[in-house]
Amino acid sequence: MSEAAHASRKQYVGIFVALAVLTALEVGLVKLPGISKDPMVTGLVLLAITKAALVALFFMHLKWETKVMRWMVAIPLCTPVVYAFVLIADAISRRIPA
Amino acid sequence: MSASAVAAAHGHDDHAHGPVVWPEDAEFGLATPGKIAMWIFLLSDAFSFSGLLLGYGLLRGGSVQWHHPGEPELGINFTAFLTFLLICSSVSMVMALAAAQEHDRKRTCFWLFLTILGGIGFLCGQMHEYFGFLPFLGGGEHGLIGEGLVFGHSDYANTFYVTTTFHGCHVTAGVIYLSVILINTLRGKYGDNPAGPVELVGLFWHFVDLVWILVFTLIYLIP
Repeated sequence: MSEAAHASRKQYVGIFVALAVLTALEVGLVKLPGISKDPMVTGLVLLAITKAALVALFFMHLKWETKVMRWMVAIPLCTPVVYAFVLIADAISRRIPA
Repeated sequence: MSASAVAAAHGHDDHAHGPVVWPEDAEFGLATPGKIAMWIFLLSDAFSFSGLLLGYGLLRGGSVQWHHPGEPELGINFTAFLTFLLICSSVSMVMALAAAQEHDRKRTCFWLFLTILGGIGFLCGQMHEYFGFLPFLGGGEHGLIGEGLVFGHSDYANTFYVTTTFHGCHVTAGVIYLSVILINTLRGKYGDNPAGPVELVGLFWHFVDLVWILVFTLIYLIP
């Protein structure tokens, strides 16, 4: 039975509030008048990564796991992200004439 | 040291339901084999979602026209509410784990039940988004299908339905998994210490929440 140290209930509620606020920020960013696409997409992706990291670290307790466990999860998860950036950037560059 | 050897050293036989002290591993700490296996499963599942999101990104990035005339915009406000519902269910899930670690069976069952309700609410919301069968929820009376977003008609519709339905299948699986753990806890199958099974189902449930955070941003929010 894994009884490793976990977050307290107060921390859980704190993470919940942070996730709710970040979600509201995302919706607000999309509805912000006059914002151009590039900063909006960058902001949305950063907000989503922050939210996903909060869930993984605190709700899935990765923060309290060993380094080996954290790397075991982080490396395979980051690989498709890098792959996606390269392939999607390539697809966009083919669409836009030079 | 094997699990049975550890259990024997602590006075339990192999079939005891009481807490088993797991030896601390130099690499994996106190993580049980079940927990490591769940993480490996979640990583393989993450690759499935990565494939879908990558396909979505490639098709969208390479398309000249993504939205075709007559196809509706996705309802951001309604889906933000569904996202909030999943976040709430993630909080009830960690509360269930906290109660389970304190050997409080009643509160564990209460929080698990709330988590299941959150999952069912999300699924009802998703069905409403597709078919519009719950008019009091808002977000479009006829649903996306009735408004012209039909599977097979465009890459936009195909990637939307495949990704969100695949996620919906995970929520359904999570609700069934949670229900099994709730029933077993109610029946006392885990004794007074259901923390192990609750932690595993929690990992799966939070993963479903984590994936939705990415799906919500990439498919619904990015213009």
